[in-house]
Amino acid sequence: MINLIRKDIRLGVHPLLLSMPVLMGVLMFVPGWIYYIVILYFCWITIPNMFNQLRAQNDLMFTSMMPVTKRDIVKARIIVIAGLELAHVVVALIFGLVSQRFYSDITYFFFPPNLGFFGLCLVMLAIFNLIFIPMYYKTAYKFGMALLISTVAATLFAGITQWIGIANSGMNRMFYGTEANHLAVQAYILIAGIVIFIALTAVAYRMAVKRFLQVEIQ
Amino acid sequence: MLALDVRHIHKKFPAFELKDVSFQLEKGYIMGFIGVNGAGKTTTIKSILNMTRIDSGEVYILGKNMAEHELELKQEIGFAFGSIDFYTRSKIKTLTDTIKRFYENWDDQIYSSYMKRFNLDENRKIAELSTGMKVKYSLTLALSHGAKLLILDEPTSGLDPASRDDLLDLFQELIADGEVSILFSTHITSDLEKCADYITFISNGQIVLSGEKDEFKESYLLVNGSEGQLAQVEDRMISYKTNSFGFTGLIHADDFDPTSGIRAATPSLEDIMIYYARKGGQNHD
Repeated sequence: MINLIRKDIRLGVHPLLLSMPVLMGVLMFVPGWIYYIVILYFCWITIPNMFNQLRAQNDLMFTSMMPVTKRDIVKARIIVIAGLELAHVVVALIFGLVSQRFYSDITYFFFPPNLGFFGLCLVMLAIFNLIFIPMYYKTAYKFGMALLISTVAATLFAGITQWIGIANSGMNRMFYGTEANHLAVQAYILIAGIVIFIALTAVAYRMAVKRFLQVEIQ
Repeated sequence: MLALDVRHIHKKFPAFELKDVSFQLEKGYIMGFIGVNGAGKTTTIKSILNMTRIDSGEVYILGKNMAEHELELKQEIGFAFGSIDFYTRSKIKTLTDTIKRFYENWDDQIYSSYMKRFNLDENRKIAELSTGMKVKYSLTLALSHGAKLLILDEPTSGLDPASRDDLLDLFQELIADGEVSILFSTHITSDLEKCADYITFISNGQIVLSGEKDEFKESYLLVNGSEGQLAQVEDRMISYKTNSFGFTGLIHADDFDPTSGIRAATPSLEDIMIYYARKGGQNHD
């Protein structure tokens, strides 16, 4: 398993993509920006580049020749994807918290980069995984349609939650508030986000394995 | 002991079908797997390696069932797919370092000795290697993890005559101690004339014949005669060509009557392949 993860990181994922969490994370210092975009760059840039490279270099055939199970091939790939996603979220979260201190007198129109917002980001990535991973593993090389639908779903989630956060006063207080009780709720939202992320990614894994076992390697 | 035992593989695709594919390779020998393009060579190899889901049939490698012992057996198999490249922009060093971790019996000393022998530079990228070098690199990887069975899909296609000859000598050398067995597919039959012990011939998804090379060739006859003589053998021939001098065709040795006065000779592997391909096409002219 660890060999497969190492293989993806050394051969499949370009070093630039590995540094994306930090490169994109720096955007958290743009005051009052739509911070959802920082995380969405993962879906827009990292995933298509990574899967294009894997396809162009015949990774599927290469990996299938190694003494590994099909189940482990899927598991390792999902660990790499989820690992990168978490790296994006963690770096953005750290930079976001610093950014919030830095611009203490700013009025946020879009979600401020607090714990609650990152809970929503994790749910967004969970939705992305739930759609992208099982769709991709129908063939294990075609990713265009899977990427389109999963990215649209993730972007819609971001758009709708942001709109509700602005339009609904209750939700607005929950996500924009800085009182102690608001901060506690935001921490709970982050925990809920983590749970949803793990659960939906696990479901995606099970569906993907089931489909990948039927795939003819070519 | 059998290095490879393929039993009754069936696999149906929308436009193609493998039908009851069976053959055996004794340990310590080289088997050539021949057939025209699209005959089912690569599909059979993928079925052996569990890359294609077969509808029915079994594959035993070194006495063990491939479906049940896939991981263990893949440690003992070396592959080379002549026509497919992997991670061409990576350096050999990076690729080797990644691959070797998958194998329990990896031997760095064997690896270095073959790299040296084949003049392969670890700092070169796969894309910079010639076709022959790539095959040699695949073989180096296979031998370094102690593969007992080498499955090579068209390893000699695209090589110049000198490199081909070199590679065929290497194959002979590898099987010399009786531990390594080689199955290699090709449509370049002259390679097999040089080094194969056994031939398995596939045509249109079916094994036509699998056996010792000379016996294989002797089980057919290449006959030629005048147009008048054609009628005597026409219905028994596998296929034939006619021209202004008469006809030339392939026939099973058992179906041929030596007293008929028609000239007959042992065909080359190429002749056998060509006439079977014509049979499939039904294009007598």
